[in-house]
Amino acid sequence: MYGHSIGARSAAALYSAAESDYTRAMSENREGLTKRQLGIGLAIFGALGFLTILSIDLLDAGRQGGIGPAQSLALLLMAALTLVGISLIPLGDAPA
Amino acid sequence: MTRLTRRLYNALVLAALAALLFSLLVYVLYAANLLGFPYDYDQGEGFEVHDTVLFSRLQLPYRDTEAYPFYASNYPPLFHIMAAPFVWLFGPAYWYGRLLGFLASLAAAAAIARAVYMEGGRRKSIAALSALAFLSSNFVYHIGPLFRQHIMMVAFETLAIVMLGRAFPKRDRRGIAVALLLLICAGYTKQLAAISAVAAVAWMLLRGPKRALGWTISFALAGGAIFAALNLASDGQWWLQAIVANVNDFDREQAFGLFILWFKLHGFLLMPACLMLTYETYFDRLSLYSLWLAATALLGGIASGTWGAGDSYFVTSIAALSILSGIFFSRILGGSLKLPRQLRFLSSRSLGAGMLLIPLLYLGYARATLKLPTDGRFQGIADLLDVEGNTRENFYDSASFLVGGYAQIGYFLTEQDRAAGDRIVELIQATDGPVLSEEAGFTIAAGRDVVTNPTQLRNLDLAGHFEGKQLIAMIDRQEFGLVILRALFYPPATLEAIDRAYLHRDTIHMNGFDYLILYPRERDED
Repeated sequence: MYGHSIGARSAAALYSAAESDYTRAMSENREGLTKRQLGIGLAIFGALGFLTILSIDLLDAGRQGGIGPAQSLALLLMAALTLVGISLIPLGDAPA
Repeated sequence: MTRLTRRLYNALVLAALAALLFSLLVYVLYAANLLGFPYDYDQGEGFEVHDTVLFSRLQLPYRDTEAYPFYASNYPPLFHIMAAPFVWLFGPAYWYGRLLGFLASLAAAAAIARAVYMEGGRRKSIAALSALAFLSSNFVYHIGPLFRQHIMMVAFETLAIVMLGRAFPKRDRRGIAVALLLLICAGYTKQLAAISAVAAVAWMLLRGPKRALGWTISFALAGGAIFAALNLASDGQWWLQAIVANVNDFDREQAFGLFILWFKLHGFLLMPACLMLTYETYFDRLSLYSLWLAATALLGGIASGTWGAGDSYFVTSIAALSILSGIFFSRILGGSLKLPRQLRFLSSRSLGAGMLLIPLLYLGYARATLKLPTDGRFQGIADLLDVEGNTRENFYDSASFLVGGYAQIGYFLTEQDRAAGDRIVELIQATDGPVLSEEAGFTIAAGRDVVTNPTQLRNLDLAGHFEGKQLIAMIDRQEFGLVILRALFYPPATLEAIDRAYLHRDTIHMNGFDYLILYPRERDED
């Protein structure tokens, strides 16, 4: 009877600890951004970045030489970021 | 894995460990060789010694360059403050700064091993291989045992990222605070740590936006307060010397070339690290290591194209890729990757003999980053590996020169190099008055003033913040007993004045470079 009583308490303590770990893990997962939110953020950032870099040539009319290699690289990067962002959106509420 | 596969795997792991331990042996010997050399090995080391001397006297090195001795530093203070107590004990010297750098690289490697061990399911062999891989990198090898602050910054960054990656999800407030403090230390060791700070803040925002905001504000306030205090204490010179004068020209070819070199040397581990990043992006939560790798590889790589930058700007990304590839391999071995049905073939059970690829990748990496002396006791190994000296006649380095900005160092110094340095010091001692030298080590050894920091004057001149009237007047009046040039980094007007008033009479070859010794011109002397 005595042993059984200790066992029950131990089980309760273990259960409580496991529950606390689980709760912490769940709240941690809920706390951050989701894949969808990250995807939307990246897609918007990439698209805006792409347009901004492109508009440098349109606004700075006096500049010679068109789109340079560094600018092309930045455009490529922004386009890639947009695509990665879009590809993340269908992953929904999975934590990012 | 079958029994045979397991045996083969173990044998290959041992071979990879042996290959990377050999690389570590060369690194240790190189560090020991440099510790005994009392002059500049890498351009600019002497100025860091001088910064340390100034801090040991409780003086700031952020000074007005228009007045004698026309000296200022563009580096944050922490590394020099750490070395300052050694000045009190041993006087100005190179060895303790180089020793601190070497120890910092070992500390970063230990942090890498711990991160892989903890995050990868406690696999000792992969953790050890990851740490050794970091130390085997040619870029780490080049700059590790120098009196430069770069590797100390990397050590602070690595410790901070490893600590933050564990503390933030656990809501461990003390751990987060210490990690952010280490990031501030990294930033006040070298400005480039701002990239790691961006990655850390972005990851915290991703994981817990509300908490991240509070921590980020505290982090910015603490960093900003130190910045303001330094600026106030230096009467605004901190801003001018460490920030304004650090904005340099960007050379696209240099950046591309260094990217290619970085990939050629580290591709064996970079690809698995990128696979881990992709895996986390789509099938798991993004770890701090993934964001750290993306930020430091991309932004650090781009920054490597600026004047005065170089291959060392990739070293933080090498720490990140060592960790991420190690975690990737460990999780494959432990079968803990949460793969969708279509990618289950990547699990350890399905891979079977494919697991042998893991130690083979480390072996390939060891070969890709190979460097060793090709004479003396190493001659047999060099012959066996069929390599010949390419950096110097007696040193092979797989990271051979490709573009500007690449540090052409790594070879062992000889008695002739030391004798050449001693000869320059003797020439200084034989003259009266101050000496204008492009390397500070000679004037420090001769007990003379350190006059000017040529790269800093060049940067200030390009930024429109250096007139140099007093310096040029002193040169015209031949007040310097001797001028020692190496790379002609002085601003054009200063070089023209030197040419007007001084004549090149001697050249001393030391450490692979020609030091030009100029004496005051006699009247009517061409």
